[in-house]
Amino acid sequence: MVRSTGDDVLALFHSLRSAYAATPKNLKIIDLYVAFAVSTALIQVVYMAMVGSFPFNSFLSGVLSCVGTAVLAVCLRIQVNKENKEFKDLPPERAYADFILCNLVLHLVIMNFLG
Amino acid sequence: MGEKPNQANSVSPSATSAAPAGSKSSDLLSRHFSIRSLKLKTKEQELLLRVTVLCLVYVLAFITRLFSVLRYESMIHEFDPYFNYRTTLFLTEKGFYEFWNWFDSESWYPLGRIIGGTLYPGLMVTAALIYWTLKVLRFAVHIREVCVLTAPFFASNTTLVAYFFGKEIWDSGAGLVAAALIAICPGYISRSVAGSYDNEGVAIFALLFTFYLFVKAVNTGSLAWSLASAFGYFYMVSAWGGYVFIINLIPLYVLVLLITGRYSMRLYVAYNSMYILGMLLAMQIRFVGFQHVQSGEHMAAMGVFFLLQVFYFLDWVKHQLNDTKLFQAFLRITVTSAVVVGALALGVGTASGYISPWTGRFYSLLDPTYAKDHIPIIASVSEHQPTAWSSFMFDFQILLFLFPAGLYFCFKRLSDATIFIVMYGLTSMYFAGVMVRLILVATPAVCLISAIAVSATIKNLTQVLRAKPKIVHSCSSKGGSSAKTSSKGLLDQSQPIGKNGAIALLFGAFYLLTKYATHCTWVTSEAYSSPSIVLAARGAHGNRVIFDDYREAYFWLRQNTPPDAKVMSWWDYGYQITAMGNRTVIVDNNTWNNTHIATVGRAMSSYEDEAYEIMRSLDVSYVLVVFGGVTGYSSDDINKFLWMVRIGGGVFPVIKEPDYLVNGNYRVDKGAAPKMLNCLMYKLSYYRFGELTTEYGKPPGYDRARGVEIGNKDIKLEFLEEAFTTSNWIVRIYKVKPPKNRW
Amino acid sequence: MLQCLSFASKLYSLWKLIDLKSAAGALVVYVNADFFVQFLVSGLEVSMATGRRLGSRGDAIVLLLLIVAAGSICTSATNFQPVSDSHRSAAVEIFTPVDGSFESIEETYEAVQTFKILGIEAKPDVRVTACTLVSEVLGASSSPLKELFYALKVSSLLKCDASQFEATASRLKSIPSNAKSLNDLYYSIAALVLIKNQSPEADVLLDDADGVFQAIKALSQSDGRWRYSSDNPASSTYAAGMALEALAGVISLATKDIGKSRINVVKSDILKLFDSIEKYDDGTFYFDDKSGTVSSLATTSSVVQGVTAFASAASGTLNLPEDKILGLTKYFLSIGIPGDAKEFFNQVNSLSCLENSRVSIPLILALPATVISLTKKDKLKVKVTTALSSRSPPLSVKVVSASISGSKDVSVIENQELVFDEEGALHVLDLPASIDVGKYIFVFEIVFHNSKDGKIYAPGGQTKVPVHVSGTIKIEKFEISVLDSDVGSIDTQKQLNFETENDVSLDANHLQKLRLSFQLSTPQGNAFKPHQAILKLKHEKAEHIFMIGNSGKHFQVILDFLGLVEKFFYLSGRYDIQLTVGDTVMENSFYQAIGHVELDLPEAPEKAPRPPLQSVDPFLRYGAKGEISHIFRSPEKRPPENLSLAFLVLTLLPFLGFLVGLLKLGLNLKNFPSASVPAMFAILFHVGIGAILSLYALFWLKMDLFTTLKTLSLLGAFAMFVGHRILSHVASSSSKLKSA
Repeated sequence: MVRSTGDDVLALFHSLRSAYAATPKNLKIIDLYVAFAVSTALIQVVYMAMVGSFPFNSFLSGVLSCVGTAVLAVCLRIQVNKENKEFKDLPPERAYADFILCNLVLHLVIMNFLG
Repeated sequence: MGEKPNQANSVSPSATSAAPAGSKSSDLLSRHFSIRSLKLKTKEQELLLRVTVLCLVYVLAFITRLFSVLRYESMIHEFDPYFNYRTTLFLTEKGFYEFWNWFDSESWYPLGRIIGGTLYPGLMVTAALIYWTLKVLRFAVHIREVCVLTAPFFASNTTLVAYFFGKEIWDSGAGLVAAALIAICPGYISRSVAGSYDNEGVAIFALLFTFYLFVKAVNTGSLAWSLASAFGYFYMVSAWGGYVFIINLIPLYVLVLLITGRYSMRLYVAYNSMYILGMLLAMQIRFVGFQHVQSGEHMAAMGVFFLLQVFYFLDWVKHQLNDTKLFQAFLRITVTSAVVVGALALGVGTASGYISPWTGRFYSLLDPTYAKDHIPIIASVSEHQPTAWSSFMFDFQILLFLFPAGLYFCFKRLSDATIFIVMYGLTSMYFAGVMVRLILVATPAVCLISAIAVSATIKNLTQVLRAKPKIVHSCSSKGGSSAKTSSKGLLDQSQPIGKNGAIALLFGAFYLLTKYATHCTWVTSEAYSSPSIVLAARGAHGNRVIFDDYREAYFWLRQNTPPDAKVMSWWDYGYQITAMGNRTVIVDNNTWNNTHIATVGRAMSSYEDEAYEIMRSLDVSYVLVVFGGVTGYSSDDINKFLWMVRIGGGVFPVIKEPDYLVNGNYRVDKGAAPKMLNCLMYKLSYYRFGELTTEYGKPPGYDRARGVEIGNKDIKLEFLEEAFTTSNWIVRIYKVKPPKNRW
Repeated sequence: MLQCLSFASKLYSLWKLIDLKSAAGALVVYVNADFFVQFLVSGLEVSMATGRRLGSRGDAIVLLLLIVAAGSICTSATNFQPVSDSHRSAAVEIFTPVDGSFESIEETYEAVQTFKILGIEAKPDVRVTACTLVSEVLGASSSPLKELFYALKVSSLLKCDASQFEATASRLKSIPSNAKSLNDLYYSIAALVLIKNQSPEADVLLDDADGVFQAIKALSQSDGRWRYSSDNPASSTYAAGMALEALAGVISLATKDIGKSRINVVKSDILKLFDSIEKYDDGTFYFDDKSGTVSSLATTSSVVQGVTAFASAASGTLNLPEDKILGLTKYFLSIGIPGDAKEFFNQVNSLSCLENSRVSIPLILALPATVISLTKKDKLKVKVTTALSSRSPPLSVKVVSASISGSKDVSVIENQELVFDEEGALHVLDLPASIDVGKYIFVFEIVFHNSKDGKIYAPGGQTKVPVHVSGTIKIEKFEISVLDSDVGSIDTQKQLNFETENDVSLDANHLQKLRLSFQLSTPQGNAFKPHQAILKLKHEKAEHIFMIGNSGKHFQVILDFLGLVEKFFYLSGRYDIQLTVGDTVMENSFYQAIGHVELDLPEAPEKAPRPPLQSVDPFLRYGAKGEISHIFRSPEKRPPENLSLAFLVLTLLPFLGFLVGLLKLGLNLKNFPSASVPAMFAILFHVGIGAILSLYALFWLKMDLFTTLKTLSLLGAFAMFVGHRILSHVASSSSKLKSA
């Protein structure tokens, strides 16, 4: 059983990579951005786990800014993805504008919360 | 609409505030006329009608809340509004930062209260903004007028929101009906009449607005809308504690959508961005602070957030690889790991106390009997009692019957929006059943759903009237989902009933609606427009008698006591004393420190000398009691006394409720419990009352509020002395004597 | 007398230790000063022994009362102590010359005279200054009579060699014959007498002494008092004293002696005067001047001086009743130590007059201590001296009788002679074994042996002296017990020991009784009833006091709580038990905490009286409160700096990774608009966004929210405008591209 799952996992990754290679470049860029944000968030979480979350607002704002940008980026990715039929009528530029607007607001709040 | 309030508070609000609306519609008309000759296209006609109706509704919603201003005068009502008024005054005088860091030493003596950190600033900031804009516009109004008229103003705005919401979930007709219904619905008016300057007045607007924006965001799936809904949520959080309802309802809604397999990218976008931004914004309110990541009430939202991530990830992977077997395996792994991680996190968080357990109020919502057993201070408030059917009828009237019908229509035409409104309606109805005050939250949902019912029915009926059987298709070919459904409705309704039946039904509907309107007006004028601080009663000859004792007493305090005097009273009157009497109080309506309140309750319910020790320790210089024995005013301290005993006994076991009862019932006459007859509250209420003849043909010392002759007529006060008693004896103020000399 | 003051001071020093409640209780009880204090001391010992540090619960008022009481007690005591060293020290304090000289010549005289009488060696040397003063007074021709008189007195005391005696004498001689007022007569004559004593050669004898004598006598009244002058009807006793002294002077100045008949008249006057003498109930006599201008002390002393002077001057004996002489002496002694110089002088001077008078010398019988402790085997000591405590002639003292005070029963000692021991000059008596503790009245009598010198002594018959015989009281069967009610069966019983600290703890309910019992017996084994036998129950809200009754030796108190619940205000809980047993003659009086009893009483009915508010210790309530030291919250622990820096670097890594990834993906800007206008807009757009972000940075660094928002609105509008332009342009181009 364990064996089989291990195989599954390997096969899974292979197929995933092969499938992912097909995605368009702009999406890849967004994915990279998301990965960057998430990894930063993770690092901060690790830091918190090590030294405790004393200035809690600072910690929160740090992590949430990363998570927020990641989420927003994912949203952007969804919206600009050609394959999503739901967003046919939404031009990618509009999506990008929204994305930027949200980010600005997000970081305004973050700055206020950073203390 | 910014200048509506101050126009409204000139002599006759209805007239003036009707004027702009009229002018608006007229110039709209003129524009249309100028565009074309008298003939208008149906679309334009419809637009014109809609705008006119909306304007009228807007005005109506405003003026129907002005009864109290006409009856009495432009003043703040009730208890809490006085605190809000005081803080608003402070804000307008001292500015925002002063207000934000305000430590109020005049309440909760000797503890004091950090106002900035323990209140929802939304209302005050709103009022202050209105005030400042008016000043910029050179309208010289007093801040009090602004405060008095804030609630009606927002009620009017709520009607607009209701219109758009209804339009979003059903169609514009439903929106119009919803606006009309909510404009005069008593359940909403009860909290938003002119002068009831309280959080709810603004909060309901914010609530509905947030929901509307969120539904909009879900429908369009655009970041901008969800950002807007996040802002709406922020405003709601800043305005009222009821935001918890939103932060729990929306995840629930998302969850339901997931379960019902209606998950969509739009939902993902809407919810996630709204959650993250909303949470961050909400954290800027100090009173809320970190609760979003710490308290149990908010964990549902976070859980759903993570769940959505997982869901999206799975979806993505699934979309990436089309091999189902592999995907199954992957699903197994991820789901198990996700579940394990989630459970682990929750368990650890709760165990380590990082996630605080649910608060008592939250429990009392889930379990109506909880408060009565555990938190008397919540149970003591009348508006926290479970709701009676009568009050449902009183507040909703026909909506109560239209509500199920609306639900039926919603289910018949399920969409994300309708599912949302259905869930909103059901949950809020449940809460309304648990607590009287939550009828307020249910009102918009009820109005919307019943509006759907009304508009759908009427539309079908009218189509029955209009339609010739053969041109059904032509009218259904108009396209647009609404027409389709209406034709559907027509198809299945036109069979059973003919034209006449339709006409009859139409008339019935109109009859019901008119009844509803009259009922609402009546309720508003009779029940909800009395500012419980000035009491009105019918005199012997049917004339209205005004008892203005409260303000008399408070102004006496302001004029005749030293500025640093500390007044002890039951917490209901704390806000009013600080706001109108401008004196320091021991406890007030913000019941954040149960022990402190219990101390006052203990003092009130113990013997005079023990009470004296307590009062000395609290440095009390005056004691204020409210007494209705002369006027028959029934909500006075003697009737509240048992709650004082309970709350006091909850902290100090010395006070035992049975000591004040005679085999289970509560009496003040000769048969009363001896401890009752000698406790401080009794003495202060009935001091010198034994000499007074209140009613002809009754013995002296006849208590009209309780309809008995009091049991202890010769009351001697040893440590206090009577300082002031208002003209109708409603408020009695006593001075605490200084301690005796040492030798 | 001395004792009293020292007692008062002792009291004051004992203040912090003695439980004033008991002290106050004792105050009303004890009559005799030394006993009072002895009780306090014993109380003190007890309280020290039991180590109970009784906070100074007291109030200055009670202290005052105590001192006053002590004073009054002393004066009313009938054991007069003769003048002793305390007088001398006091005299030195009272008469202190201001830089070598006294204010007036009169005061100088008083001081010098007092020093002389008391025989004080350590007197301040004022001779030189005084004599210069004297000489200038005498030299001045216009100095008033009175000053002359005192100057002469001083010179006679200090033996100043003044040369102007003749002049003065000649000036004085003319006065008496034609003087009208008594004062002039008195001073002039007295002055002449003084001159005569100092310089025999000066001629001071009066020619018409008879006439002068008549003139003075003419002012006398029928009741033996005198008038100041012929035209002043008011008569006074003080004047009598002056007159008598003046008469004595006349007699001594007369060239040919005065007729016997005249003198006898004066003697009868004196007897008349003594008929008007006043009497205190403790057997002291004094004269009072009815005019009220002169204090009775001054009056008495002037009379005494006058009488003694006359007695010594006139021929023949003046037989005055002994007891009155003794009474006068006792009167002077009973004053104690006056604080005022004048009074002090009067007292001492008249005492000396009495002692040196030819009338009769009073003898004072005094007991050094009237407390006789059986435990210390004290002896009964008696001291017989003159008023100025010079030794008495050989005599013997015997106890006529000694009986328990207040009881008329037979006296324990009958006619017993005291043994005289030389050193200490004391008459000592070993108390017979039969004598027991208690308050006694001893009656002494002085028996003269043959007196060699011709002096007449006034022993004054029998003197009664109260004597307290104290001893240790045996306390037995000292026990406390809880009884079940009516049956009386003992529930719990504890033995107690009164010497050591007791701490019993009992439990009782309202159906039970508390019994405390003990036996008191005197050393002789007789029953003993102390003045105080008090049981105190202290609850935190109230305290109750019970007297302990006795039958013979057996003392017991039974508290039936069923009957006392009302009195106890239905207060259940811990009651501290305190026992007080005290008496003046009980050397081991004690005030002691025995322990406590846990009572549980029924619930109070509502109509029950409420306990009075306990008077909280005023020092607790109104005194300074303890200082509140503020405790600051301990700062949160911060991570080590390098760790933080390391993580700072770590957080930068993903960004690098991001850039690297971008390069790998081959990022390019070919979508960047090439046309000039859109390019400018695009640049502006990015500039705007950059500006906003930098604004955020500023916000974080220093700006406040509102300024930020204002700026942000401007920047945002700008960015939005250009952004809209560029994005729409991009959109159109892309759509064109699509369509193409």
